[in-house]
Amino acid sequence: MLSSVPHRKPWWKSKKTVKVTRSYPTFPPLNAWEECRGLLPVDGELNPGVGFGVEDGLLCQVVHSPEFNLFPNSVVFESNFVQVRRGRNWIDIYKASNTMALGVTSSVPCLPLPNILLMASVKWYQGQSQTWNKPSTIPNIILKRILPLKFVELQVCDHLQRILRLRTVTEKIYYLKLHPDHPEIVFHFWTRLVQILQKGLSITTKDPRILFTHCLVPKNCCSPSGDSQVSYKNLPASQPSDSLIQLMAKGEREALSQIFADLHQKNQFSSQSSKKTETNKDTSEKETPCEDCIPCTRDLSWRDSFTFGEWERENPSGLQPLSLLSTLAACTGPQLAPPIGGFDP
Amino acid sequence: CPLSMFFRKVFLNSFSGVGKSCLLLQFTDKRFQPVHDLTIGVEFGARMITIDGKQIKLQIWDTAGQESFRSITRSYYRGAAGALLVYDITRRDTFNHLTTWLEDARQHSNSNMVIMLIGNKSDLESRREVKKEEGEAFAREHGLIFMETSAKTASNVEEAFINTAKEIYEKIQEGVFDINNEANGIKIGPQHAATNATHAGSQGGQQAGGGCC
Repeated sequence: MLSSVPHRKPWWKSKKTVKVTRSYPTFPPLNAWEECRGLLPVDGELNPGVGFGVEDGLLCQVVHSPEFNLFPNSVVFESNFVQVRRGRNWIDIYKASNTMALGVTSSVPCLPLPNILLMASVKWYQGQSQTWNKPSTIPNIILKRILPLKFVELQVCDHLQRILRLRTVTEKIYYLKLHPDHPEIVFHFWTRLVQILQKGLSITTKDPRILFTHCLVPKNCCSPSGDSQVSYKNLPASQPSDSLIQLMAKGEREALSQIFADLHQKNQFSSQSSKKTETNKDTSEKETPCEDCIPCTRDLSWRDSFTFGEWERENPSGLQPLSLLSTLAACTGPQLAPPIGGFDP
Repeated sequence: CPLSMFFRKVFLNSFSGVGKSCLLLQFTDKRFQPVHDLTIGVEFGARMITIDGKQIKLQIWDTAGQESFRSITRSYYRGAAGALLVYDITRRDTFNHLTTWLEDARQHSNSNMVIMLIGNKSDLESRREVKKEEGEAFAREHGLIFMETSAKTASNVEEAFINTAKEIYEKIQEGVFDINNEANGIKIGPQHAATNATHAGSQGGQQAGGGCC
């Protein structure tokens, strides 16, 4: 059976909170919340992320299981995908019983951005409903690889079809279609993650007293009582951060909500990378159908664009610039200061 | 209830292009893939073996060999029960830098970690740059087990992994490894628990079909 997921304590509990309002990059309006309210598989679930199967999901349980025991204190944001390739239409590469779980997490929980990508192959039993969120029978999940996110480029490839394009620094390209079982909102989360990873956010602080206004999976889309009638109808779409302020709750698993970037470095990355990506786009998209699994080594110059900020280092406990140290100092509590490389017990 | 265990990590480590991923593929899938993507981060493989009548799951972590990814590798040593340090017998430079890799492994891992030195690509005899005796001498000097393998022909691949596992197993028997300390990368439990709890990657000698990602 799936084994214990380490209990995570709310690390800012009972601490004084200070709300900080800043300007944020514009994100797509979360209108989809309108549609998804009725879809929430609540049954007493307090955390909508868990309800949607994107937090504490099957992949998370594998990664946190005694066998791997990786990043035990970090939240995993995950979903189930179908690997596809370009044809006249998108074509499934593998038979329907084989899907791919994709997730992001942080090697150290106090990192402001996820820095690890997780990929696992999932084999469903014949005739089994491929429900990611609490399936009747747990499928066979094989963790295949973990990649530092700084060596990966994630893009939204086809909004309509809910397809992400994942490109590694070695030019291995995957097209991943969000499994139809996931509600629309889950793709919005991924879209949002892609944007945050590319553009970053304007805060780097990790002061637990500060209530951040960004959260990949808004926590209070349903109240603990199960009332999911929080309305986003009247929130202006042009001010998503405001709407998110209202969505923000004091949830426990906030690592993924703490998605803040070192903007200076990240902007540099995103502008470089987006330019180069544009340049490559035409040619790469004309690739053969094997593009999704065979590396292309024609143009590796874009690798140089994989610059990354101090926050994305594997081991943030090394020397840090003062500006970062000050923010680190604010969060150095026992739960937040794991040993070097400390994701093992 | 028969005991089962898994060695949580057996590492493959060293220079890029020496054939670590091919060795893993040969061991887990019994196939050879001449062109393999450069490994970034860590790739996982697993296989059940039997030693002394006990089912043991070897979980193998294939790490990136390229210098630029090496800082990542270092952080994963912790909790490894064994490591395979691989060089390419047709590339002298991969042999010459073994000391650096060995120091790296010893510095960042459990001092009892079993390390096997592998001279891979033994099928390319005509291009050999490192004599077998040199490998043996290096292994003797540093207290390693040594073997030459060929991921292409599968020569000694099985033996390399299984001998490493046996060595780990012997250390457990001798009490060198504290099996209660998971940091040693070993976990023992009832057979069903070991196989179920580790359903991820429990290929039992054969990869689950489908082969996505």
